[in-house]
Amino acid sequence: MELVLDPLKCIECGACELACGYHWDRALSPVTSSIMVYRAREKKNYFGLILKQPEHLVLGRPEGIETQRIGAVTEGREADASAKPIMLREACDLCEGFDQGPLCVLFCPTAAITAA
Amino acid sequence: MGDLVNENVLLVDLASGETEEEMIDEEFFGEHLSGAAANLALYERHADGDPVVLGTGFLTGTLVPGGGAGVVTAKSPRTGVVCHAPLTLYLGAELKYAGFDFVVLKGAAQAPTCLWLHDGMADVKDGSSLWGKTAWEATDAIRRDLGEDVIQVLSMGPAAERGEPAAGLVANYWPTPDRFGFAGLLGKKNVKAVAIRGMGLFDLSDEEGFVAACMDLAAQAKELLSGKGGGVGPIAAAMGEDIASWLAPLTHRHKADFGTPYAANTFLATDQDPSVMQETQVAEPGMLLTDAGDVLALKALGMDAKQTARALAVCARQGVDPAAAARLAAEQGISDADSLEKALASMSCPAGDAPPGTMAALAPDRPVFGGFGDLSGEAARAEWWNRRQAVGAIFGMDPRFMCMAPFLTEEKLCELVSLGAGLTVDREKLDDAVNKVLGE
Ligand code: SF4
Ligand code: SF4
Repeated sequence: MELVLDPLKCIECGACELACGYHWDRALSPVTSSIMVYRAREKKNYFGLILKQPEHLVLGRPEGIETQRIGAVTEGREADASAKPIMLREACDLCEGFDQGPLCVLFCPTAAITAA
Repeated sequence: MGDLVNENVLLVDLASGETEEEMIDEEFFGEHLSGAAANLALYERHADGDPVVLGTGFLTGTLVPGGGAGVVTAKSPRTGVVCHAPLTLYLGAELKYAGFDFVVLKGAAQAPTCLWLHDGMADVKDGSSLWGKTAWEATDAIRRDLGEDVIQVLSMGPAAERGEPAAGLVANYWPTPDRFGFAGLLGKKNVKAVAIRGMGLFDLSDEEGFVAACMDLAAQAKELLSGKGGGVGPIAAAMGEDIASWLAPLTHRHKADFGTPYAANTFLATDQDPSVMQETQVAEPGMLLTDAGDVLALKALGMDAKQTARALAVCARQGVDPAAAARLAAEQGISDADSLEKALASMSCPAGDAPPGTMAALAPDRPVFGGFGDLSGEAARAEWWNRRQAVGAIFGMDPRFMCMAPFLTEEKLCELVSLGAGLTVDREKLDDAVNKVLGE
């Protein structure tokens, strides 16, 4: 199973971040999640998703998905500054141990994140 | 930190610039609940300082669908009555995660001030360099100076600095439903902006029970919203006007308030091809429409969608309640954004009739997708709307989603508070809180 992002369906509600934070902390917090809503260009209405996988960073930009190797990102070659906070967090483990499937998928209202 | 709450109030004495964190306990929450009802209790406790109270609800910033709003409470300079307006977009959740359930702004600062709330800390900063700036410029400057683009900013524009009765608060760059002149009140207090960044964490009383209940509601929300689209269009349709084809040529993407499964806001690209999704060099390509009622009021003046979006951008930059601006435009026969901008710069905006009641209207006065039973007749609908809005404002729910989701019953919301915060809210207590919030 893997997560599939469809950034253009995202509405920036932040539910996936909280759901993932719950997976890691058994509490509500938006700052420990393996998935992050990129929302730094508010006036331009430009927003998307960043997912940290064990070896890759998936950048779900509105114009398309890009996958970067984490080494390449930390070396700063193609790094996106907005990816910084997520580098310190746990990588997505697809909600291991949770029977009902990935929590971010369950809480995403628009199917911007699905499991395939 | 307690379950679902920080258990605190931040008291800001603006005259001295001193801040004090006051802890509140279960007894306070049991007595006054949260959100608008707790704000009201704090307003009364500090009434001699003519306070502006920012507050959050038990369910603000949670996984409950629609659990994203905060609320601002103060005595309206326009009505003389203590009123409540929602803190929209990410502001409410950010406040809670910044470490504060409630913030009481008392008295008046000697000089322009900016309050910076983060990591459980409150800095009263010099805001003189922000004074005179538009709300957009102020937000840009704050984010640049504090070094983060996602800081949430509640601010005012020049209209509030001039003491305009029709000034309105601005959330980052977009209008809030401040129909009560709260922005002008903050202007008199010399508070140009409140900047907020939240990184906290909240425990849950019964974590599995709470998340299971939220998951069930999330599934119901998906079912409800399937095929319904998003943005201000369907809300305007519920209000009786189909503007889908009027909006479509400029529609970029819809955007939600925090934690809300319906994207109630629509971005219109006025200065860029709306089909372009990649980031461009255009710094200000358009405007986020946050309130279907404001859109309809400007449209009724003969404005097309582009002029409407530009007029709303003028209101947001100047910090003017768009409903009042629409009244000014109607009086002056204005039907374009440039003329409105000139008019707003050179004359006072009429405050107009005081809005009825104590709750700011952002949500439509009727169910958006039906499902709430028989609400025929003005009186039945008004009673339903007031109760629904008051309950939402007490618990921290998005006002528009409260008019969309029949499954968010009062019993369900009370159950969620019980699961999340471990606090029992009975019918009598909720009725009492609702009556107080509605000023009854
Ligand atoms: S699948 Fe689980 S761990 Fe992975 S991003 Fe989603 S919620 Fe987080
Ligand atoms: S839950 Fe879905 S719609 Fe909401 S921010 Fe995450 S990906 Fe976007």
